[in-house]
Amino acid sequence: MSSIFKGDVSRRSVLAGAGALGAASIAFPHIAVSADGSVLTIRSYSDLQVLDPAFWLALPEADIMRSIYAPLVSNQQGDEWNWRPVAVESIEQLDDLTIAFKLRDNIGFTDGFGQMTADDVKFSIERIADPANESPYAGDWSALKEVEIKDNLSGLIHLKNKFVPLWTTTLPTPASCIVSRKAVEEIGGKIGSEPVAQSGQYILTEWVPKQKTVLKRNPDWAYEPGGYEEIHILPIEDPSTAELGFEAGDLDYTWTSVSSLPRLKENPPAGSVVEEKPSLAYVWLGMNQDNEALKDVRIRRAIQHAIDRQTVVDAAYFGAAAVGNGIIAPGLPGSRDSVTYDYDPDKARELLAEAGAEGMTVTLDILNQSERLTAAQVIQANLADVGITCEIKQNDSGTFWTLGSKDGDYFMNLQLVLSRFSMNPDPSWATVWFTPEQVGVWNWERFNNEEYKALHEEGLVESDPAKRDEIYKKMQGLMDESGCYVFLTHEVVGLIHKDTVNPGLKPNGEPLLPLFKPA
Amino acid sequence: MLSYFIKRLGLAAAIVSVAMFLLFCMIYLIPGDPASVALGPRATEEMRAALREKMGLNQPVLVQFWNFYIGAWTGDLGEEVLSGRPVTTVVFEQLPYTLALIVGGITWSVALGIPLGCWAAVSRGSWADRIVGILSVAVIAVPSFVIAIYALLIFAVELRWLPAIGAGEPGNLGDQLTHLILPSLAVGLGWVGYIARMVRASMLEVLEASHIRTARAFGLPDRTITYRYALSIAILPTVTLLGVGIGQMLSSAVFAEIVFARPGVGKLVYDAILTRNFPIVTGTVLITTVLFVLLNLLADLIIGALDPRVRSSF
Repeated sequence: MSSIFKGDVSRRSVLAGAGALGAASIAFPHIAVSADGSVLTIRSYSDLQVLDPAFWLALPEADIMRSIYAPLVSNQQGDEWNWRPVAVESIEQLDDLTIAFKLRDNIGFTDGFGQMTADDVKFSIERIADPANESPYAGDWSALKEVEIKDNLSGLIHLKNKFVPLWTTTLPTPASCIVSRKAVEEIGGKIGSEPVAQSGQYILTEWVPKQKTVLKRNPDWAYEPGGYEEIHILPIEDPSTAELGFEAGDLDYTWTSVSSLPRLKENPPAGSVVEEKPSLAYVWLGMNQDNEALKDVRIRRAIQHAIDRQTVVDAAYFGAAAVGNGIIAPGLPGSRDSVTYDYDPDKARELLAEAGAEGMTVTLDILNQSERLTAAQVIQANLADVGITCEIKQNDSGTFWTLGSKDGDYFMNLQLVLSRFSMNPDPSWATVWFTPEQVGVWNWERFNNEEYKALHEEGLVESDPAKRDEIYKKMQGLMDESGCYVFLTHEVVGLIHKDTVNPGLKPNGEPLLPLFKPA
Repeated sequence: MLSYFIKRLGLAAAIVSVAMFLLFCMIYLIPGDPASVALGPRATEEMRAALREKMGLNQPVLVQFWNFYIGAWTGDLGEEVLSGRPVTTVVFEQLPYTLALIVGGITWSVALGIPLGCWAAVSRGSWADRIVGILSVAVIAVPSFVIAIYALLIFAVELRWLPAIGAGEPGNLGDQLTHLILPSLAVGLGWVGYIARMVRASMLEVLEASHIRTARAFGLPDRTITYRYALSIAILPTVTLLGVGIGQMLSSAVFAEIVFARPGVGKLVYDAILTRNFPIVTGTVLITTVLFVLLNLLADLIIGALDPRVRSSF
């Protein structure tokens, strides 16, 4: 069918026909949205709402902020987690508690707010750290004592205590984006969806809500320029829509769903490159140990042994993802090769019999996404095999993310839950959510272990990679032991781009917009 | 006429009031905490509490309803939870895209449905009549999101004739029309069937009328009789059908906006429900409800003005 159409009617002729419907007289100053030219068109999974380094909401906002407010440092592209200087000429850790920085000269703020100074650095960092400002990112700078100004461009960042994740998960994130003190104070202390005093390699010139964000090369940026004259960012929530948009030629780069990866890798669209990157995220089946039906650890252990993790992951991700063994992904300190429970349905039945829980019924709450549902259905079958009836409850995201909150009325009824958390490249980012303070907040398994908490604190200040590896492995061992967790996978990140694009990507495939270049 | 107008206006206000009450009840019954969803995992309990207070969620439900009710009637629909932008601004930014989609859908349905209906009527009992009948039922039966996906796969992905996503460059009408073709087809194609069937039935009735027989007796050409005399009468029920259909097209627009990644109120309210952005949900639904009620009011007034029997029967 397609060949018949292709032979007789071109896209141009269809457009001409459309024009005859009423727009024939209108000129078509169609912008050449192409990676071959000066415009890069990419997809983000959500539209921007808040472009404030202290109050941003989603990753696409972070990508934009790192482009328009020069950060002290940012991630380097490649397969290893490194950083590169952006706003600084030099930055150096003098000792465990002191970091010296010197800003590049001639970094200016737009809208007439002058040159970026060390005072702006002090303002930007202390603003996030100050508890009075209630920034959700205050934890990034929880170790901050103060920023000391040495001269117009230099200063010292003083820490209260040693803080190892500083160089991996604080400085390369929007937590080091520098805003203008004067500009932010003039607008009352918070930036909304309209940026003020931009200073990065790109500046945001246009935002059409729910449709498009346009970044243009900053003509006043005196150092390495961004790779494209313009970057158009289209908010497309659904990955399948984005994949079709790419295949139709409307996008130059997009993330794909994991389940589409095998199909795209096998049959990539013409002129495209499909890539698979290791994800830092982690997916697990959690069990609420305070729920009456799951109080007995033997029952939780039985469920651990009942689930065939390999089959669950293969079915849910069409073979694209590997089984994970904890909350810390391969490549990071603390990553494990195995868990302490294996798939053993006989042992599961034995444990259930010991606990007198044969024939029990449980509920499994999931987010209503196809991968989760498939995983849940395999889990349901695994549990049925050992005599447990499992009822799957699908929830939309608004409901799902509040199920285990102690502010709600469901948290004690919650039994099994299939969860996925995203991650940053330091193991402390994964372990923090399972501390006793997080019980009823994000620790829905209500896993309450003081030794785990102490190890988490120890990991934050331990800089020896070997010792950190030991600490974080021990913490995951405690999680295994609790019987509350069945670790499933770290997933993978799928992405596709035109072969005319050389994408600037972090090791996990997240974009670094200023580093995208024509191939 | 004035009495009729006042009565219809009162009925419209009552409909909006009931819709507001139902809307509030539905929102109140949705599980999930907007503050947790909006602020994400890194927010402290104090921050969540502050946002709940800002949204008025810590107040008794009756107070919340009263504030919502009074605010709505005075045109104050509140602010978007996190960006702080007025809800009316956000909704009216998106509304033109949805209206364009619906107008596009109506255009497709009228442009295809009326000629097909006429063709079927004048060819009554022939193979053409049967084909139109089968096609009409088929397009009515297929959900709009299925049409949307197949239209996208064929015309955007496979043939690359038309763009797959977005609404076109702001300010570039040609580009916007190009981006409108596929989504409006998805919204309007089902209505081609309804209209074709409606026009066919009306035409058959009108073609039997005495004045048409008279026209034939005077030797007027069939084409003139069909399109000048019969269609002008037969099309009136179709106009009424389209008025009612706007509500259904609004729901189809939600799918089209998601599948084609277009901006619009459908997509806006879908996203807002997922994030429990209640002011946007209530504002969007309320504004579209008012719009729908006003359009129906307008239709009723026009019919009332044209037909005295309608006025007296109300």
